[in-house]
Amino acid sequence: MRRSISHWILCFMCLVLIFIIPTSSVYARSPYEGYIWNSRHDAPSINGYLYKDSIDGLNLSSGPFKTPEDIYINESDHIYIADSGNNRIVLLDNQHELIQIYGDAEGPGKLNGPKGIYVKDDGTLFVADTQNSRIAIFDKDGAFKSEILTPSSPLLGANFIFSPSKLIVDKRDYLIVANDGTSSGLLQIDPNGKFKGYFGANMIEFSWARLFVRLFATDEQRAQLATVRPQEFSNLYQDEEGFIWTSTLGAEYNQIKRLSAVGVDTYNPDWTKKYNRKDYGDTFTIGTFDIASFVDLTVDKKGVVTGLDISTGKAFQYDKVRSLLFVFGGLGDQDGLFKTPIAIDQTSDGSLFVLDKTRGRIDRFRTTPFGDLVHHASELFVDGRYAEAKEPWTRVLELNSNYDLAYGAIGKALEKEERWKEAMAFHKKSRVQVNYSTALREYRKQWLRENFGSVVAGIIIVYLLFKFGFPLLRKRLNRKSSSAAMPEFGMKGGFSE
Amino acid sequence: MNLLRNSRKVLAHPFEFFYDIQVEGQAKWRHAIILLVLMAIVHLLKISWTGYTFEGRASYQISVVFETFWLIVPWVTWCISNWAVSAILDGEGKFKDIVVSSAYAMIPYIVLSLPLALFSQILTFDEKYTYFTILYAIYLWVAFLFLMKVKVLHDFQFGKMLWITLLTLLGMLIIWFVGFLIFGLVNQVIDFVIGIMKEIQFRL
Repeated sequence: MRRSISHWILCFMCLVLIFIIPTSSVYARSPYEGYIWNSRHDAPSINGYLYKDSIDGLNLSSGPFKTPEDIYINESDHIYIADSGNNRIVLLDNQHELIQIYGDAEGPGKLNGPKGIYVKDDGTLFVADTQNSRIAIFDKDGAFKSEILTPSSPLLGANFIFSPSKLIVDKRDYLIVANDGTSSGLLQIDPNGKFKGYFGANMIEFSWARLFVRLFATDEQRAQLATVRPQEFSNLYQDEEGFIWTSTLGAEYNQIKRLSAVGVDTYNPDWTKKYNRKDYGDTFTIGTFDIASFVDLTVDKKGVVTGLDISTGKAFQYDKVRSLLFVFGGLGDQDGLFKTPIAIDQTSDGSLFVLDKTRGRIDRFRTTPFGDLVHHASELFVDGRYAEAKEPWTRVLELNSNYDLAYGAIGKALEKEERWKEAMAFHKKSRVQVNYSTALREYRKQWLRENFGSVVAGIIIVYLLFKFGFPLLRKRLNRKSSSAAMPEFGMKGGFSE
Repeated sequence: MNLLRNSRKVLAHPFEFFYDIQVEGQAKWRHAIILLVLMAIVHLLKISWTGYTFEGRASYQISVVFETFWLIVPWVTWCISNWAVSAILDGEGKFKDIVVSSAYAMIPYIVLSLPLALFSQILTFDEKYTYFTILYAIYLWVAFLFLMKVKVLHDFQFGKMLWITLLTLLGMLIIWFVGFLIFGLVNQVIDFVIGIMKEIQFRL
């Protein structure tokens, strides 16, 4: 088959075009889709956070990270990295340049598999030196200061193994330590290294099935049963006000908690009531992995908490009143997805840093304009400034009509303006029955006040109808039906009235 | 008009009604069918008319087929099971009488559901006890009519009535179980036949 010359020329020109046309219009699409959990379903949403860049340590003189376990970012945005595989702590400045390395020198300060770090305001570094079963303390300049070894206390029991994984130092200079394998709560250790009791243990839910099995099992069977223990804390975080936030592994609900000074959860209301329980993370009820496994969390100055779920590889952000704001990340190979996300922290400009253990790098996420807008609106809203929050929430809805939180917030603002009927419509859209009911109650009052005259007239008319109208009607009907002579049937038994 | 008069009689004098329905020519299939259709319509309207305070589902979350199915099927199985059980244990009721009077026993639900649904539009959570009291009163009334129906139609003593009712419920479960079984087996047979057809097509 012969082909014309013009055909070949055309082909050639096409080829040339393909190579010549610049690829400037190519942009990086986010590897994850934004979504939000509304009352019953997940709905597509706009991303609040997008991947910006990574720190992998390759261009630092300290070399690449190896299975890092934790990051801590201090007030001047310096980043401490627990570089566990290399048995050291690396300190970077806010430009991500190396400042210092802790714990790599031979001697008493040599670290072994450190899993958690905390830095006090004065720069003192506390390291949960997990493999060495101790807590190592370094001063600001990197010199080893002291260590806290296995605390001894009858409360801890004979089989206690000190294996600190995460820690913080509270305002009293007490260390609050999450110990691997301890389910009785967080360890409180005073500055002298003395154990001062457990703090904020998780609870076990009462179960009829367990009680039943216990009742009928023989002693041998009972010994075979696995003892039910409360879930362990996977991580902890101290916010600006000194509250300790915890994440729990293996819990089906209330995985994120804010503990008060006496260890009571103040983020979630009374957990014993079923309707107060919140499933953080993705709430799929189908499949084997239906619960989120939060491994770390971070809280900003406004009380917005971001938890990192290792099973889906996603970070979930919640506002002060437990409403989901954004989800980002996921498992995968692209930039913006993770292999093993293990720790999260944030800088003062609102960037989130997620530490990927397998890749040995830190990924930075920046807010999108939509994210900033929602944060602004949410901040006003949780402070109770509903009227001011109305305008930004309206803009949120213009960008994303799936964002049900905004409907509820605008509904609250309308309530403040006493526009109850519109508030009802918005609460219905946000699908919160309680708020709808509240608005309805006020609307009912308002309606009654405005239509008092007609209501009274209506009642009088109905009363008159019942008193005189219906009896008259009945009399007339009866007269008619008796004249029609309906067939009557006799009774069989004595049941008639 | 007969239907209307009967309905009033069920509400006002249920015993009288269940005696009279047994007289030859009183029970009409036509009435049962009309009442069943009404029941389904009322059930669907009730869901969509109930105030948002008490019915949180949006209209797209409600399936007409699903709702109707789970209303009609239990009712039909009740009729069959009740007839079967009472026929074995010397009940006097005829199948036609059972079906028609079972349909009439749903009258309180048909009559009162919609007014309650409209009333719930102006109720808030503070008055939830009012709403649920009325709702359960309707259900209780219907249950009472069903029990009386069993008693009068089959001419049972009180104790035997309860026993038969229990057996009827058990019978319903068995019917459903057999139904699911047959459904599964028929599925298998259809699969098998389709498989053979495909095989033959493939070989030819």
